[in-house]
Amino acid sequence: MTAIDSVAPGKSRARPSFYFRYMVEPYLYIAPALILIALVMLVPLVIGISYAFQAVNLLRPFQTGWVGFENFQALWSDRKFWLALSNTFWWTIGSIFFQFFLGLGLALLLNTQFYGKRLVQALVFLPWAVPTFLSALTWAWLFNPTIGPLPHWLAALGILSEPFNILGDPNLAMWGPVTANVWFGIPFFAITLLAALQSIPGELYEAAEIDGATAWQTFTKITLPFLAPMIAITVMLRTIWIANFADLIFVMTGGGPANSTQILSTYIFTTAFRKLDFGYASAIAVALLGLLLLYAVILLVLRRKLVKI
Amino acid sequence: MRGLIGAISALAIMAGSTASAETLKLVEVITSPERTKVLQAQVDAFEAANPGTEVEIVSLPWGQAFEKFATMVAGGDIPDVVEMPDRWAGIYKDKLVDLNDRIAEWEHGATLTQKTLDMGRQTDGKSARMIPYGFYLRALFYNKKLLEEAGVSAPPRTMEDFMAASKAVSELDGKYGYCLRGGPGGLNGWIMMAATMNGNNTFFDEDGKSTLNQPGSVEGIQFLIDMYQNGYAPKDSVSWGFNEIVAGFYSGTCAFLDQDPDALIAVSERMDAEDFAVIPMPVGPAGKAFPTIGFAGWSMFDTSADKDLSWKLIAHLSSPEANKEWAKRVGVIPIHEGAEQDPHFRTEQFAGWFETLNGEEYVPTVMPTYLEQFGYFADSIALETSQEALLGQISAQEVADQWAAFLTDEYARWKAAQ
Repeated sequence: MTAIDSVAPGKSRARPSFYFRYMVEPYLYIAPALILIALVMLVPLVIGISYAFQAVNLLRPFQTGWVGFENFQALWSDRKFWLALSNTFWWTIGSIFFQFFLGLGLALLLNTQFYGKRLVQALVFLPWAVPTFLSALTWAWLFNPTIGPLPHWLAALGILSEPFNILGDPNLAMWGPVTANVWFGIPFFAITLLAALQSIPGELYEAAEIDGATAWQTFTKITLPFLAPMIAITVMLRTIWIANFADLIFVMTGGGPANSTQILSTYIFTTAFRKLDFGYASAIAVALLGLLLLYAVILLVLRRKLVKI
Repeated sequence: MRGLIGAISALAIMAGSTASAETLKLVEVITSPERTKVLQAQVDAFEAANPGTEVEIVSLPWGQAFEKFATMVAGGDIPDVVEMPDRWAGIYKDKLVDLNDRIAEWEHGATLTQKTLDMGRQTDGKSARMIPYGFYLRALFYNKKLLEEAGVSAPPRTMEDFMAASKAVSELDGKYGYCLRGGPGGLNGWIMMAATMNGNNTFFDEDGKSTLNQPGSVEGIQFLIDMYQNGYAPKDSVSWGFNEIVAGFYSGTCAFLDQDPDALIAVSERMDAEDFAVIPMPVGPAGKAFPTIGFAGWSMFDTSADKDLSWKLIAHLSSPEANKEWAKRVGVIPIHEGAEQDPHFRTEQFAGWFETLNGEEYVPTVMPTYLEQFGYFADSIALETSQEALLGQISAQEVADQWAAFLTDEYARWKAAQ
C-alpha cells in the first residue's frame, strides 16, 4: 500500500508528513551545525571532565583507570589549590576593576570631539594588537630595576622605599601582571563601551539639557542605564576570560615567587605539563569551570533584574 | 587523549616531509640561534659526506621543550636522533638504543673520557643510552674590581671566605656579594651547598632515605637563606633565572656567580678578560666541594628506521673535531681526552673548570635525574619551596624535610622498578 492510495480525493497529500515537516525536518537542517558543535565543543568537554575522575599520568601510563572522586578529595586538602584560588580571585578583581573603569573613562573621552582624536583612538587600541607574550616580556623588563624605568619612578614618587623589582616581592608581585593586564585589556572595554555610547540617541541629552540636568545627572540617568546591558555582558565575558588567562602571569613571574602569583590556570598548566598528571589537572579545571559557571549565572540573573528593557 | 595526540601528530607527519629511508629526523631541545647555527653547519658537513642523506632538524625552544617533546613521542612522531638532556634520560631510557657496542667499535671510542662514558650510562649504570656532547660544570666567577674595592685580597677558597667576601662587597653602595639564583634552575645551587656543608654528595643512604635533611645539608640550605636574608644578594634575586644572574654579574651588580661555561659566552662579550676570573667552588667544613655537573648528549630512538645511519650521525657529531668546535661555541666542557690542551681552554677564565675536574677536593655531583619525577621536582616543587624559604615563610629544616620526603618516595619507586 502506498501513501497515494491512502489519500482521499480532495485532501492534501502533504498531510501525512505533517509531523515530519514541522517536528523533524527543521532539525535535519540544523543537524550539520549541531553535529559540528557537538564534535568540537561537547565531546572534548565531556572527555575533559571525565579525566577529572580518572588517573591519567603520562609518566605512569599503565596506572590509569577510574578513581571516582579521589582527585577532588586531593584537591580539597591541597593547600596550593586554595592559595591559587584566592590569587585567581585577586588577579581577576584587580584586573577587571581597573580595566573597566579606565576603559569606561576612555570611551567617554573618545565619545567627545577634540583635536587629534583619530590619532589617540589609533594609539589606544594598540595594546590589543601586541601579542601577549611580547607585552608580558616587555612589562617584565620594565619592572626590572637594572633595565627598566618603573622601579626608579616608583621610588622617586615615594611608593617604593628603594628601586627594586616588585615581581620579586611576594606581597607586590601580583601587581606586575595586573598592570600589564590592565594595559592590555583597556581597549576591549573602550571599544565595546564606545560603540554602546554612540548608539544612545542624542535627543535624550538635548532634552536633559533643556530640563537643566547637571552633568552627573545626565550620566547617571541617561548614559549609565543605556550602557548597563553592555556593561553587564562585557564584565561577565572579561571576568571569565581573565580568570582563565595565564599567559601574562606565566611569562612574567611563572607563578612565583613562592606561589604568590600562582592562579588556577597556571596551576592547571604546571600540573598537566610539568607533573604530567592530566587527571589532577582536569579536576582543578572542572573546579574552575564550576566556579565560573556559578558566577555567570549570578551575573545573568542580576542583569535581568537590573536591566528593564 | 592519546588518540587525539596521535591523530594530531599523524596529521603533522603527513603535512611534513614524507619519510624516505635517507631522511633522518633530529630534534634539538636546548635551542638558541647560535647553537642551531653550529648544529646546522655540522649537519651540513654530514650530509655532504653522505650523499643522498637528508637530516631534518627540529628545534624546540628549551622553555617548552619538555612538554612538546613528550607530546611528540606520545603521539608517535618519534625522531631518529635526539638531543637528550640528562634529566629526561630516565623517562625515555626504555625507548633509547644502547650504544655500548657501537662505541666499542667506533674509531674515536677510545678517547672518550671515563666521565663521558659513565654519564652516558647513568640511567642504569650499564647501557649507554647516549653519548654526552659536553658537560655543564659549576665553578665560581668573580669580579676582580669589586673584590678590590671591597678590600678582599684573595678570592674565596672556603665557604666561610665566601660568606665574608660577600658581606664585604655588599657593604658597597648598591653592590651585592652573590648573584643568587632563586628562580628557575636554582636547584643546582641548593644541592651543591647542601652537599658541600654536609661533606657528602650521595643523595640516598643505604636505606634509600634522602640525605637532604641531614643536619649538614640543612646547614647548606641555611647558608643560602642567610646570604639572601642578610642582604648579600639582591632583593629580587629570589626570582632570578639564568639570564638575570648572568646580567647581574656582568653589569657589576654582584661580585660572585656560580655557573657553567655557557655563561662565559655572555660574560666575556661584555667584560674585559682581566676584570674577572673563574675558580672552583669554595670547599666546606670537610675540605671538599661538590659542584653539580650536568650534561646532555645525543641519543637514538629504537624506532629509527635506519639505525646505522643514525649512529653515523651521532658519531659525526661526537667526533673530537666536531665536539671541540661544539664545546667552544656552545660553552660546555669537551668529551674527548686531550681537549684541554687547546689554547681556547687554557685561559684564566676556563681554569676554574679544569681545576675542578682535576682537583682531589672537588667531587662533581650528578643530580638524580634517573628519577621519573625529577624534572617536576626541580622545576616546580624545589622552585616554589626554596622561594618560600628565602622569603622566610618556611625554615631551612622544613624545606629539607619536604624535599627529602619527595625524593625518598621517588627513589623507592625507582628501586622497585629496577
